[in-house]
Amino acid sequence: MANIAVARIKREFKEVVKSEEVAKCHIKVELVDDSFTSLRGEILGPPDTPYEGGTFILDIRIPETYPFNPPKVQFLTKIWHPNISSVTGAICLDILKDQWAAAMTLRTVLLSLQALLAAPEPDDPQDAVVARQYKETSDIFSQTARHWASNYASAPHREPVMDDKVAQLKNMGFDEHKARVALSTHNWDIEQAMENILS
Amino acid sequence: MSSYYDEHDCSPLADGERPNHMLHLARLLIDGGYASDLDMEFENLFSGEKKAPPASKKVVEDLPKIPVSPADVSKNTQCPICRADFELGETMLQMPCNHHFHSSCINPWLERTNSCPVCRHELPTDDPDYEEYKRHKARKVQRDFELESLHDSMFG
Ligand SMILES: [Zn+2]
Ligand SMILES: [Zn+2]
Repeated sequence: MANIAVARIKREFKEVVKSEEVAKCHIKVELVDDSFTSLRGEILGPPDTPYEGGTFILDIRIPETYPFNPPKVQFLTKIWHPNISSVTGAICLDILKDQWAAAMTLRTVLLSLQALLAAPEPDDPQDAVVARQYKETSDIFSQTARHWASNYASAPHREPVMDDKVAQLKNMGFDEHKARVALSTHNWDIEQAMENILS
Repeated sequence: MSSYYDEHDCSPLADGERPNHMLHLARLLIDGGYASDLDMEFENLFSGEKKAPPASKKVVEDLPKIPVSPADVSKNTQCPICRADFELGETMLQMPCNHHFHSSCINPWLERTNSCPVCRHELPTDDPDYEEYKRHKARKVQRDFELESLHDSMFG
C-alpha cells in the first residue's frame, strides 16, 4: 500500500483511540491484521432510536489511494435501515461516495454512520423495501428495526410479539433469519410471510 | 447585485415609478422554465457519482507557499491530509480559505477535484462546462430570490 495511506491510518488510529467518543464507548476501531488495510469498526446505536444500545460492527477496507478516496465500509451486523442493505450491509451515504474529502477520517466516518442511524434518508435509499416501510408505516418500521437490533446487535429493548412470530415460523422448520426477513418484508403478516418463503 | 439588470437589459425603477409586476413575473417564469431544462442537463452532467472537475492548474500553481513558523510548530499545526505535524524548514501551501497543506499532499487532491478537503471552498477549474454550471447555479439562487420577493410584493 502507498506510504501516505499507511502513515495516515497509523496516525488516525492513535487519534481515534484517544478520542472522547472512544472513551465513552460510543465508537471503536480495531486492526484486523497488521497491514493497516483491513479494520474493524464498532458504533453504539444512538439513544432515542430503534438501534439504542445495540453494538454494530463494520468492515472497513482502506484503499491504496486513501485518503484521496474514501474507505470502503459495510455493516457486518445485520440491520433494518432504509440506507443500509438488509441483505449485504452495503451503505448508501454520500461521504462514502462522491462527497468524500481527504481531510475526513475514520472518526468522522463512524460518527457520520451513527448520525445516519439517528436520521435515515429514505429518499436516497439503499434498501427499497425498508425505505417504503419507513415512509408508509413508520411504527412498524421502528418496531422491526428494534427487533433486528435486539436479535443481531444485542440491543436491550425487545419486541416480544415479533420474537413470538419468528419463533412460530422457526418451530415449523423455517430458517430463523429467512423467517425474520419474510415477516419484516410483509409487515409481520404470518400468512404472507409463509407464502413468500415457500414461493 | 448587478446581475439581474445587466442580464435583462433594463434599469432600476426611478423614484415614484411603479414596477410592472406581471411583466416582471412573466420574464421570471420564462427564464425559470428554460432554466429548469438546463438544470436537468447540468445535474445529469455533474451530480451523482461524478465529482467536480480538478482545480485549474494555473490557479494551483499561483497559490501562496509560506514557510512553517515556530508558532505553527509550537501549536502542533497538522497537515489535514497526511495528519503529520508541520515542521520547521517545510513550506505550506495556503488555500484562499486559509487552510494549509503540504504541497505534496494537496496537489494530488486538487488534481482530482477543485475543493478544499477541509471546508469545500471551491477553486476555479479549467472545465468550461463546469464553470457555466456554477454561474448557472448562482443565477438560479438569484432568480428564486427575485421570484419570492416579487410574490411577497404582490400578495404579501
Ligand atoms: Zn501533508
Ligand atoms: Zn478550506
